Amino acid sequence: MPEDQGTTQRTASGLLGGLIVLWIVCFTVWLVINSSVAPPIVATGALVSLVVAVIFIRRGDVWRIQAAPRTAYHLLAYTCVFFCELVKANINMLRYVYAPRIDIRPGIVKVNMPLKSSIGRLALTNSIALTPGSLVMDLRGDALFIHLLDVRTSDPEEASRMIIGPFRRHLEAAFG
Amino acid sequence: MSELIGNIVILVGAFFLFSAGLGLLRMPDVFTRIQAGTKASTLGNILVLSGLGIHHPDWALKLLIVAYFVLMTNPLSSHALSRAAHAAGAPMVGTVVDALRDEDGIAAKESSP
Repeated sequence: MPEDQGTTQRTASGLLGGLIVLWIVCFTVWLVINSSVAPPIVATGALVSLVVAVIFIRRGDVWRIQAAPRTAYHLLAYTCVFFCELVKANINMLRYVYAPRIDIRPGIVKVNMPLKSSIGRLALTNSIALTPGSLVMDLRGDALFIHLLDVRTSDPEEASRMIIGPFRRHLEAAFG
Repeated sequence: MSELIGNIVILVGAFFLFSAGLGLLRMPDVFTRIQAGTKASTLGNILVLSGLGIHHPDWALKLLIVAYFVLMTNPLSSHALSRAAHAAGAPMVGTVVDALRDEDGIAAKESSP
């Protein structure tokens, strides 16, 4: 990976942003599970979640994300798109399940992975698993192998537009 | 009133869970069964949890965490299962194209002269 001044600076700022995001997430989970805001509980939670966040940030590159208002907006938009797709996937699946004769043409197609960061990849693969008739089988380098219930095309470009089209824009903007 | 809405939401969720079970029985091979199980059971779980949240509004945040947990882990487990099934050579019924097998075939040919 080419490391010039710009990328190292960006990595450092991403590190701090990721630390804050992870800290807030851990702390929120702690508060919700305790469902109490007594001072000892809040203090313990803040300390422990900070330690957990620092350990996770120092151990890997997964949480190096940029925390910006645009990221939050794109995450929100992505969640809306995701729930629409989830409901569509379920109605689609009901049609297959309750059909008198199951009429499917399953197959595995190869699609290019557009995202680079690991957390973006995790989000994209998890979303693909919950969209209509698709399931991620494997990820090798930049190639995603996706199992489709109904293969309409073997052309990678068109298949990728069909499968990851809805999520791509928001996830690219949020995680890169 | 909120009890009634909660009950209806839970009922719809239970219907989706039932469909997931039926899909497991009706689909022809491992991968299509995993697909049916993953999708319908995820939405079914979320609906049952939100129905519970309508019943008991003070549990709502905890249930939201459970729902997120299901949302994160359910696709993950299906992915791991399907990958293992393909590596073990589980049969696929009526396959049109299998890019993963083709890729494996190319790799095997390259490694053995």
